[in-house]
Amino acid sequence: MFRKALWYQNYKQTRMIIWMILALFVLHMPFQSILSLETWQEREEQAQQIEDYVYEVQAWDVLQIFSQGLLPLILSISIITLACLLIGLERNTRRNDFTFSLPFTRKHLFLAKWCYGVVAISLFHLINFFIAYFIIYQSEYRSSLYLVSWIELLWGPLLGFIMFFTFALLIGTFSGEMISQVVLTISLGILPLGVFLLIQEMINVHFRVHLSSHIWIEYLTPFMYVFSITTSVQAILMPIILTGLFLWLAVYLYERNKIEHNGDFLIFKVLNPIFLVIITFCFSLLGGMIVSSLAPWNADALRILSYWIGFTTFLLFSLLLANKLLSMNIMFKGKA
Amino acid sequence: MKVNHISKLIHGKQILSDIDFQVKTGSIVGIVGRNGAGKTTLLRTMVGILDPTQGDVLIDEHSVFKHPQLKEQVIFVPDSSEALKNYSTKEMLTLYKSIYPKFDEDYFHKLMRRFSLSPINKIGNYSKGMKALFSLVVAFSTKAKYILLDEPTDGLDVIVKKQILKILVEEVSTNEVSVIISSHRLDELEFMANDIIMIKDGKVDSHYELDEMKEMYRKVQIVFNGDMPDYISQHVDILSQTGRVYTIMIDQQDKDIYQKLQEASPLLYEELPLSLEDLFVAKLGGDEDVS
Repeated sequence: MFRKALWYQNYKQTRMIIWMILALFVLHMPFQSILSLETWQEREEQAQQIEDYVYEVQAWDVLQIFSQGLLPLILSISIITLACLLIGLERNTRRNDFTFSLPFTRKHLFLAKWCYGVVAISLFHLINFFIAYFIIYQSEYRSSLYLVSWIELLWGPLLGFIMFFTFALLIGTFSGEMISQVVLTISLGILPLGVFLLIQEMINVHFRVHLSSHIWIEYLTPFMYVFSITTSVQAILMPIILTGLFLWLAVYLYERNKIEHNGDFLIFKVLNPIFLVIITFCFSLLGGMIVSSLAPWNADALRILSYWIGFTTFLLFSLLLANKLLSMNIMFKGKA
Repeated sequence: MKVNHISKLIHGKQILSDIDFQVKTGSIVGIVGRNGAGKTTLLRTMVGILDPTQGDVLIDEHSVFKHPQLKEQVIFVPDSSEALKNYSTKEMLTLYKSIYPKFDEDYFHKLMRRFSLSPINKIGNYSKGMKALFSLVVAFSTKAKYILLDEPTDGLDVIVKKQILKILVEEVSTNEVSVIISSHRLDELEFMANDIIMIKDGKVDSHYELDEMKEMYRKVQIVFNGDMPDYISQHVDILSQTGRVYTIMIDQQDKDIYQKLQEASPLLYEELPLSLEDLFVAKLGGDEDVS
């Protein structure tokens, strides 16, 4: 798995984003912990001026530093970019020809990309985690660390990032180029929960019944692992299971890649009809939801009528759009 | 290296069809064909970039698709250095040294000096000719046994072309390297290739040793009283026609043709030197239907 040439090549083509991810991790944990300590101190000083009020750091405050907030979102976008530079951009340019002409199996080529990303993410995460942890541990707010579990602080976010990176690479094994890899990673990353919300809204409009969500829908939604870390064992088990599953599937697909389809929306043409159905179905439901929300809340018949007007309009749009998407070809051609 | 009945279907179109040939050690094989004939696809398949729909590529009787480590003996030089344009010469050296175990660093520096190529921070900043030369310097320094070149002299000036052709011939003669070149430059191939593989519509139209190929055909300029009689035109390849002056190519295996020519009593019959370009035009299509 460790082939110097492949690690060197991977680093060369992702150098910039790798350092950006490191900078984001520094901002996310050590820098944020320093700022938070200042904030907590200030709040405590203010609290002292109010009689009978004692300021206490809450679990939520600690989670903001390690696993919640805006920075994990920016980090997950950076992780998608990393995956896209490792696979998608190769497809848009002629780098894929170079990579596939090397004396390594495709499995090795893929695993080198995966290991490279996982090692970088883990290393950056762990180093910055322990620095941030130490900063809080040596402060007067040490006790706040006991308000949260290590699953919430360390293992949940770390395994979540690794799983999400594996997922983004998996999408790269069947998407034909960089833009489709980005679009598909984001849309499939929220698909289970997204589809549930769309169906929930459709049922609500037609029958005035609010379908309640199930925790398994969140477990099956890759994006949720970046934002929603729970203390349950599933928060550790599910990312591990999904990482293993995605990795196995990604290697299987990468070994069967037909790179003559590079630049197309999808590498495997057999997937075209499946994606056509998914895209049009989701867009139509979205159209129904948007247009029905414009109708008065208590006018049931009008809401249903609006829903189907929106549904049909978006169905037509999405059919046209999906056909264009599935027949596009994007290749960047430089000078010889 | 053996290309074993390779076929390739892309977007439902048959690009290569049952391509079968062998590359001998220390030879230069020219792959010629018109635009879109499948030359680049063939080279990309030979180095494992594309999977063949059928067939295999064997090195030492083992499949390069099942044993990719065999590709340490093969290097593909595409017609553009786009893939590695952001690498410096030093980075290229590090990269190739870690890929090809037999990479000869001293030889690399020697060739760099010979072609006056100075180290650079970005390969993409070299001129087109320098990029082409640099690609060859890297390729030959890997000490790979088989070097696959896709249009190596396309768009280069005469001086660079001469340098490239010279190093190719030198490498083949001194280092027992086999070079497989796809090219439109038939005059260049004629100067150095041992074998010529002509590809038409994704199939091997003909595969000859160049000298043998030239023995098989005669190029003749011939003038008749009127138009060329049908019984002759049906048996020869007309390379060009200006008024009543025909330039034709005669297949030496057609024993009756000389008898027929005598019967037609041409006003002029003159043999001309045969070039690879004549064979190309006769075999792969006339002047009018250039694709």
